Amino acid sequence: MQMEKIVEMSHIRKEFPGIVANDNISLYLKQGEVLALLGENGAGKSTLMSVLFGLYQPEQGTIRVKGKDVQINNPLQANDLGIGMVHQHFKLVHNFTIAENIVLGMEPTKGLSINIKYAADKISELSKHYGLNVDPWAKIEYVSVGMQQRVEILKMRYRDAEVVIFDEPTAVLTPQEIVDLGQIMKNLIKEGKSIILITHKLNEIKAMADRCTVIRRGRVIGTVNVQDTTLAEMAEMMVGREVNFSVDKEDHAAGDIVLKIRNLYVKDNRDSLSVKDFSLDVKAGEILGLAGVDGNGQTELVEAVTGLRKPESGKIFIHEEDLTESSIFHRIRSGIGHIPEDRQVRGLVLDYPLEYNLVLERYCDPPYAKNGFLQKEPIRKHAEKIIDIFDVRSGMGPTGAARSLSGGNQQKAIVGREIDLDPEILIAVQPTRGLDVGSIEYIHKRLVDHRNNGKAVLLVSLELDEIMDLSDRIAVISHGELVDIIPADQADENQIGLMMAGVKND
Amino acid sequence: MTEKIGKKSKGPLGGFKAPVIPRPVVVGLSAVILGLIAGAILMGLTGNNPFEGYQYLFKGGLMSVERIGDTLATATPLILTGLSVAFAFRTGLFNIGASGQMLFGGFLATAVALSWTALPRPVLLLCILLAGIFGGALWGLVPGLLKALFNVHEVVCTIMMNWIAYWTIYYQIPKYFKGAFLETESAKIADAASLKAPWLTNLFDGSYVNYGLFLGIFAMIIVSIILNKTVLGFELKSAGFNRHASEYAGMKVNRNIVLSMCIAGGLAGLGGVTLYTGYAGNIQIGVLPSQGFDGIAVALLAANSPIGVFASALFFGMLHSGKGFMNAMTNVPPEIGDTIIATIIYFAATSVLIERVLDKIKSKRRGDK
Amino acid sequence: MKKAITLLMVLVLALALPLSCKKKDNNAAGAEAMKVGMVTDAGTIDDKSFNQGTWEGILLAEQDMDIETKYLKPTGTTEADYMKEIGNLIDAGYTFIVTPGFKFETAIFAAQDKYPEAKFVLIDGTPHNADWSEFRAEANVVSIFFAEHESGFLAGVATALQLQEGALGFIGGMEIPPVQKFNWGFQQGVIYANANLGTMVTMDAENILYQGSFSDVAAGQQLAAQMFDKGVKAIFCAAGGVGVGAINEAKSRAASGEEVWIVGVDVNQYADGLYNDYSNSIILTSAMKRIDQAAYDMIKAELAGTYPGGETLTFNASNNGVGIPEENPNLSADVEAKVKEVFAAIQAGDIVVSAEQGDLIQ
Repeated sequence: MQMEKIVEMSHIRKEFPGIVANDNISLYLKQGEVLALLGENGAGKSTLMSVLFGLYQPEQGTIRVKGKDVQINNPLQANDLGIGMVHQHFKLVHNFTIAENIVLGMEPTKGLSINIKYAADKISELSKHYGLNVDPWAKIEYVSVGMQQRVEILKMRYRDAEVVIFDEPTAVLTPQEIVDLGQIMKNLIKEGKSIILITHKLNEIKAMADRCTVIRRGRVIGTVNVQDTTLAEMAEMMVGREVNFSVDKEDHAAGDIVLKIRNLYVKDNRDSLSVKDFSLDVKAGEILGLAGVDGNGQTELVEAVTGLRKPESGKIFIHEEDLTESSIFHRIRSGIGHIPEDRQVRGLVLDYPLEYNLVLERYCDPPYAKNGFLQKEPIRKHAEKIIDIFDVRSGMGPTGAARSLSGGNQQKAIVGREIDLDPEILIAVQPTRGLDVGSIEYIHKRLVDHRNNGKAVLLVSLELDEIMDLSDRIAVISHGELVDIIPADQADENQIGLMMAGVKND
Repeated sequence: MTEKIGKKSKGPLGGFKAPVIPRPVVVGLSAVILGLIAGAILMGLTGNNPFEGYQYLFKGGLMSVERIGDTLATATPLILTGLSVAFAFRTGLFNIGASGQMLFGGFLATAVALSWTALPRPVLLLCILLAGIFGGALWGLVPGLLKALFNVHEVVCTIMMNWIAYWTIYYQIPKYFKGAFLETESAKIADAASLKAPWLTNLFDGSYVNYGLFLGIFAMIIVSIILNKTVLGFELKSAGFNRHASEYAGMKVNRNIVLSMCIAGGLAGLGGVTLYTGYAGNIQIGVLPSQGFDGIAVALLAANSPIGVFASALFFGMLHSGKGFMNAMTNVPPEIGDTIIATIIYFAATSVLIERVLDKIKSKRRGDK
Repeated sequence: MKKAITLLMVLVLALALPLSCKKKDNNAAGAEAMKVGMVTDAGTIDDKSFNQGTWEGILLAEQDMDIETKYLKPTGTTEADYMKEIGNLIDAGYTFIVTPGFKFETAIFAAQDKYPEAKFVLIDGTPHNADWSEFRAEANVVSIFFAEHESGFLAGVATALQLQEGALGFIGGMEIPPVQKFNWGFQQGVIYANANLGTMVTMDAENILYQGSFSDVAAGQQLAAQMFDKGVKAIFCAAGGVGVGAINEAKSRAASGEEVWIVGVDVNQYADGLYNDYSNSIILTSAMKRIDQAAYDMIKAELAGTYPGGETLTFNASNNGVGIPEENPNLSADVEAKVKEVFAAIQAGDIVVSAEQGDLIQ
C-alpha cells in the first residue's frame, strides 16, 4: 500500500455573511487511510468538505489532487477527479428505484432508452461484492435510512470514486447499521480507496479512523494519530476545555402521572397499524426512555401523542385531561413540549428568521402579540435570551434565517425553545442527533434539569447509550408494541438489545 | 455592484443596514433591464431602432398628464391582481385564478351598481366594494376548501374557476343586466355608481384614472401590514414556507389555506371592481380579463413584496399604455409591439434565473481575488 | 456575462440604426400625404372578417392614393382601451381614423367631441353615449351599416340551388345584430329557393346555433362535427374563429371523401377552405359585406373633398355593398346565373329581404 498524498488542501479560507467558516485550513489525505475530521457543530467541517466537493468556491487557498493543482467548480468536476461524497441529508429521488438513483446523471443507454437492466446487474454485483444486500429494484421511499446510505455509497462506487467523503454518516443509523458501516468502510480501504470521515463522535473515530484532524471555530487545532490519542484528549482539542462524558444525575423521586397513554392504536402512512395496543405512563420528575430500532412505531406514537396524527383508537391524557381529540394548539397549551425527530421538516421554518422560529408556538400569545399584531421587541428579547442561554450560534443573530444555522445550532434552538416553554411533559425525539459532545453534554444536562424541576420527560432515541445514561425507567418498543418497562439501574445493554428485537424478559 | 447586494441569509424582516440595496430590488431591476434588452433585440431584428422605439414607448406612457393618468389607470387592476397572486405565493399557494376572481367580483359589483342606484353614493360605493371583495373571495374560497379538504391542487381548481366565472357571466349578464340594445355587455354603470372621480379625471386631463388607484394603494398598505406585522401574516407565511412545521406548532394550516385563498380572491375581486366599475364602466361578456394573468408576472417581478407589486404594476401599466404610441410613431407593427411587451414581461418574470446569475458572479469575483 | 450583453447591444444597435434611418427618409418624403389610421376590434388583423376587411380596404387605398397607413391594436375591448389608441393615432398625426365594429360606438361618440379636427369612419355602428340615451354623429363621423340579411339571402339561395336537397346548418358567433341578420337572411333565401326555384333543402332548429364567442376554434370544430354527423351537408358560419374551426373540420372530412360544405362570411373565404394540395375548396360560396369597399370609398371621398360627415350610409345590394363573390368555383354556371337574377331582383326591389326575425328560427 503506497502512502502518497491523494488530496491536499492548503490555506483554505471560506467566508459566509457574518462568519468565517474556514480560516486558513490545511490538511491532507493519504491513499488507503481513513482521515477523521473532528469538530463541534458549526466548526466548519462540512463547509471544508463542500469546498473539496465543488459546492463552494473558497476565497483563498489551493487544492491538489494526486499532486496536481485543481480548480473544482462543481460536483461533476469533483466526480471526474474521483471524489465522491455521501451527504448527511441524502440526495436521492424518492420515487425512483435504487438502480435509477445510482445511475442518475450517467445513465447507461441502449439506443435512446436507458438500459436500466444493465445498471441493475452491475449494482447487484457491486452490492454482493461489498456485502451490502441492496435490491436495485426497490424504491427509495420504501427502504430504511440505513439502506439509503448504502445506496449513496454504491453511487460513489458506481462512479469509481477513489476518495469518499462521509458527512456524519452514523447520525441516522441504528447501532447494528453503524457496525455494518464500519465493515463497509474497511472493505473500501482494502481496495485502496481513501476516506474522509466527518464526525463529532469520538467512539467512531477510535473505531474507524487512522488519523484525525481537529477543527475548532474554522481553524485547525491539530492532527493526531488516533491510536496514540485518548478520547478525552481529542474531546478537549475539539471543545477547547475538559469534557465530562457521564451525566450527573441525582436520584429523584417520581411524582404523579403526567402523561397517560391507554390502548393506543395508530396507523402509518401506508395505512398499516404501526402502534398496537400501546399503554404507558410517564410520571412527573422522571425521564422515561423509549428504546427501539428505527421504524418500530416510535414516530407514529409520538405523532399521535403530540396531535400530528390521528390515532385509530385509544386515549391520551395529560394530568387526567383527555386530549385524544384535542388540537395541537390546545395540547401545547396543556403542557406538551415536543423536540421533533426531524428538525428541518417539523422543527423549524427554515426561511423564517431565528427569532420567529423561537416563538413558533407562542407568536399569538402575549407578550409576543397584542391585538393581533406581532410585538417586535419582546420577540427579539426572547430570541436573545434563548440564544444566550443555549449558546445558539447564528452569524446574523436573531434576524438570521434559520436556514443559515448549522445543523447543531438549529437543534439547540429547538431544544431551547421547547425547554423554555416549561412543558409538563417534554417529548424529546433524538434530541442530540447530529450534535457534538459539547452540545450533547449541555442538552442532556437541560433534560435532567427539567426532570429535576418536577416535570416529565419522554426521551425517544435510537442511541442506546443516551437512553441508558439519562433514563430513570426504560420502555422498549418493538413492532409497535410495548415489550416491557424496566428501571434503568437494573438494565444492561444486552438485555435491552434482545428486547428491542422483540424478545420479552421473563 | 456585488458589494451592495443584500445578504442571502437575510430574513424577510431583515433590518435595514445603511446603504444596502435590498437584493430583490437589484434582481428586479436586472430583470427589467434584461427584458428591455431582449425587447431591443427583437426591435432590431424587425428592422426598427430600439432607442427610438423605447423613446416612444416611454413617451406614450408618460409624456403628458393624461398619459400618466392612463398609465395609472391601466396599472390599477394590475396592482390588485399582483397583490392577489403575491399574497397567495407568500402563503405557499399559486393563484392562477385571479382572472376569474376579478370577473366574478366585478360581476357582483356591477350587479350592485346597476341595481341599488337609489342608495346615497358613499353607501353605494361601499356596497360595490364589499360585493366585489365578496365575489372574489367566494371564487377563492372554493379552491381553498378543495385544497384543504381533499388536497386538490389549487392551480387546477383556480383555472377551472376562471371558466366557471366566464360562463356564469356570459349567461347572467344578458339575462339580467344587459343594456338597452347590446347582448354582449351589461348596461352602462351610472357615473354616480362608479369609481369615476371627475376631479381626478380633470386633474389628469380627461384620463381614465379613478378611485380604484387609491383602493390599490390602500390594499397594498393593508397587505403589507398583514404579511409583516400581524399574527395572521405570521401564520399564513409560515404555512407557505413549511406546512409541516406549521402543523407542529399548532397552527390551523387547513383553515389558513382557505383564508389565504379567500384573501387572495378578495384582492382580485377588488381588482375586478376597479376594472369594471372604474375603468370600463360596464362588464363585457366573453372576455376573461388578461390582468389576472399579468398579475402573476407582476408578482414574480416584485418578488412578492407588496410595495414591489405596486412598482412593477406601474411599470407594466406604462408598457401597456405606451405601446400604442410606440406602434403609432414607429414601424413596429402592433403584433411585434405585443411580442416586445410580452418579452419584457417574460424576462422580468425570470428573476429566479437572475438571482442565480448574480450568485455566480458573486462567487466568481470572490474566487478571482 | 455583462460584456457579452454589452456587445450584443452594440451589435443590435449597429444593425438597427441604418435601417431605421432609411425608414425615416421614406417618411419624410411622403410628409404631405394624408395619414389614415385604424384601431382594430377584438381579434387579430387577419381575422378573415372585420379587421382584415377594413385593413385591406385601407391598403387598397394606399396603392391607389397618396396616403400613409397604420393600424393599432388595443390591449382590451373597453371604451377606455379604444380611446387610448385613438389618442395615440391622433398624437402621431393620423387624423383620418377607421374603426370596425359596433364596440366602437361609445368611443367614437366621445372622440368626435374630444378630437374635432379628426375624421372618423365607424363601420357597423352609430355613435351614441354609454347608456344609449343620446345618439349623435357630428360632422366628423360617418356611420356605415350593411344589409347582412341581403347577403345572407343570396348565399342561402346559392346554397339551396347548388345542393338541391339535404339539410343545412348555421353557426353564429355571438348573438348580435349583424350575425343575426346574416342568419335570418340565409333562412329567407332557403325558403325562397324552396318555394320558387324547386329546391328541397331543410333547416332544422337544432342545426342553428350561436357558439357564444368569435374565438373558440375548438368549439367550432366540435359543433361542425356534430352537425355533419347528423347529415348536414353545408353550414353557414358567421362566427370568426369559431368558423375557422368548422372549416378545419370540413376540410378533414372532405379530404376523406365526405361531401360537406361551408358557406363563408364577410369576405370571400374560398382560399381558406382549400384542401387536397390546394386543388379543391370546401367553401361553397361566401356571404360578403364589402367592408373593404366601404373603407376604400370613404378614404377616396375624403381626398376628393366629398366626405359625407355626419351621415349614416347603408351598403346593400342596390349599391353593390353586399353579395356573393364574383367567382364561385364550387357553384355551377347555371346556379351563378340564377343567383345573379335574384340579386337583380333585390336591387330592383322586387324581392324584399326582412332584417327582422319574424317567424324564422332563432
